[in-house]
Amino acid sequence: MPDPVQSNPGGNKALTLATKPFAPEEEAALREALKRCSPSTFEAAVQFRKTGNADHMPAVVIGVIERFVEPDLRAKLKDADDDLRLIEDLGIDSLTMMEIVILVEDVLQLSINNDELRNLRTVGDVKTFIDCKIRGLPLPRPTKFLPIEHIAAVMPVQPPFLFMNEASVSSTGANGKYKITGQEFFLQGHFKDNPVMPASIMLEALGQLAVLFLIEGAPTEPGKAIGANTIFFTGCEGVRAHRMCKPGDILTLSIKPKRMKMPLATFEGAIRVGQEKAVIAEDITLTFAYVESAAAPVAVEGSAQAAPEGAHPANPPLRVAINA
Amino acid sequence: MPRVFITGLGFVTSIGNDAPSVAASLREMRHGFELYPPFQKPEISCKVIGTIKGFSTDSVDPEDWTFPANYSIKRETIRSMAPHGLYAHCAMIQAVADARLSEGDISNPDTGLFAASGGSPMLTYYHHERMLRLGPARCSPLGIVASIVGTLNFNLVASFKIQGASCGFSSACASSAHALAYGFDEISLGRQKRMFIAGGEDGNRDAILPFAGMRTLSLQTDPNLASRPFDVARDGFVGTGGGVVVVLESEDEVARRGVKPYCELAGWGQASDGYNVAISHPDGTGSRTAMENAFKSARIRASEVDYVNAHATSTLIGDISEARALKGVFGELGVRPAISSTKALTGHGLSLAGAMETGFCALVMREGFIPGSAHITHLDPACEGLNIPRATLNQAPNVVLKNSSGFGGANVALLMKRA
Repeated sequence: MPDPVQSNPGGNKALTLATKPFAPEEEAALREALKRCSPSTFEAAVQFRKTGNADHMPAVVIGVIERFVEPDLRAKLKDADDDLRLIEDLGIDSLTMMEIVILVEDVLQLSINNDELRNLRTVGDVKTFIDCKIRGLPLPRPTKFLPIEHIAAVMPVQPPFLFMNEASVSSTGANGKYKITGQEFFLQGHFKDNPVMPASIMLEALGQLAVLFLIEGAPTEPGKAIGANTIFFTGCEGVRAHRMCKPGDILTLSIKPKRMKMPLATFEGAIRVGQEKAVIAEDITLTFAYVESAAAPVAVEGSAQAAPEGAHPANPPLRVAINA
Repeated sequence: MPRVFITGLGFVTSIGNDAPSVAASLREMRHGFELYPPFQKPEISCKVIGTIKGFSTDSVDPEDWTFPANYSIKRETIRSMAPHGLYAHCAMIQAVADARLSEGDISNPDTGLFAASGGSPMLTYYHHERMLRLGPARCSPLGIVASIVGTLNFNLVASFKIQGASCGFSSACASSAHALAYGFDEISLGRQKRMFIAGGEDGNRDAILPFAGMRTLSLQTDPNLASRPFDVARDGFVGTGGGVVVVLESEDEVARRGVKPYCELAGWGQASDGYNVAISHPDGTGSRTAMENAFKSARIRASEVDYVNAHATSTLIGDISEARALKGVFGELGVRPAISSTKALTGHGLSLAGAMETGFCALVMREGFIPGSAHITHLDPACEGLNIPRATLNQAPNVVLKNSSGFGGANVALLMKRA
């Protein structure tokens, strides 16, 4: 029998919990609770309960979400990235979210309170949230969804050289979308009678998303903020273009921080069009500096910043509607 | 005042799950009773109920339920239903098709829905017991809306995107008659153009067996003898469940859509016994006044009535009370309309009864017959003088009276006439 407390060479992955023995009755109850989930969900739950290994958690959570999603939408979950939205993409309403939570609580033996649920908007949010709960880590800041007005207000780069239409920023990375309209000035010459998005501009778009992450999402020291005008490009490595991108294509941009130590931040980045890989950048490094931050965040017109208590965005993610 | 017509019907009942099979059962006087497996235990003396065929709703988890393949219901819709919510949902789908309503006809501010059911004792118990045992955090967020009285209107209004008036009615066995009555008012007062009236009951162990505490259930073990209103040997009612939906529309809507209604709902009346919480007044005073009020409201004379679908449930006291009320209304005028209780075939649908039996009345008016009062071997002498046919009459009724009575001595009388 393997030791229930596994050592983990990866370091920050798969921390373990002290586990109690897993009795046959508990397995039967677990099987009953997960009877409408896939067999692999049940298997993952059994492994989690036996070993406490948090690596099994995502399979359980995704399996439980899948069980509550209408069959015709389940395909989306199959090759879901963490950006898949619970309400908008999967049709999960707040009551269904409660059903998911109750089953997850039951299966993973943890308890989640309503306040914690409010900011879970994407599959990635849910995974990160449960992961933090299991590992006893502080809960991440919620994903912020930023409309173009907000992006344009905070970014040092401005149109016509701003290459994103919308973005979401969490503490673990940022995602954005840009639609190539065909009206971009440089496409007139790149190339003659054959508009193709320049690879250098795609790299620029990833860099801009990394800038947005530094401004909106990166952890900072108390009282300090990263100055928007202090961020500059220093270098990149491992850049490969896989696909030509043309007017009409919607670029899905994503970046994740790899290292951050004043004054340098290094990211990995990728651009997809639908499910197709377009550009990969192994390292994009920016330089930045801290400035003194104002006591309160600057209010921005049309802001979709994570709202403080009591003020919820237009589509409050996860509140149970009580209409009794 | 706009006139009100019945333009659509949907049935999930012990005697059939669509209008044609219900009409055939009524005409041929085929009952829907069976020995009910959960009652076949020595400690349960009641054995027979009117069963719903083609559905299985025994589980407390709606996702376990089975229903006829011609209905497709999403998890998101069924998860908050009680068993009778499923029955009524299917009846609603039938009624919409029967009335030839488009999606736009259903979901608009001029179309409302009234419903009546006794809630779901099975689910109430399940969720409540779970809450006490495991704590509220482990309770289904849908437990309340699936189980409390009102579950039927909550679910139907949400599922069918109703935007007009919506309300639930609770007067026990008069509930869905009240829902029909106030639905009539919504249209005749010009507030709504169309109303769906839904009745539903789980009709399972938890819904029926509590009546054994009142000693009001028939203890007959022979399904052919258990329900026999007006018979001298009757010994109580036989429970049943199901779901029925009746579509009411204003005369303008009937003309605009060019549909042929079943009949006109001409008016209604109500009155209370003011007597006992559960026992009807021995002289049927409230029932008689309710009928008289209905005649006034509909401007119809008692002598015009040619069929009465009685409330008569096959209980010892109730049937006689109603017989006396009927004698008071008709006997004094010397008229003898045909009287039958279709509960002899279906069993007593409790909150569902009024809507179910009004649906039957509308159906037999279109089909052109009067169903006989089944299972009478020896008429109770107290009913002598009343015209209670024991076989179906091939006679199309022109004016029909439907009686309903409930606990607390609530009485409702509805009047229909040929359109």
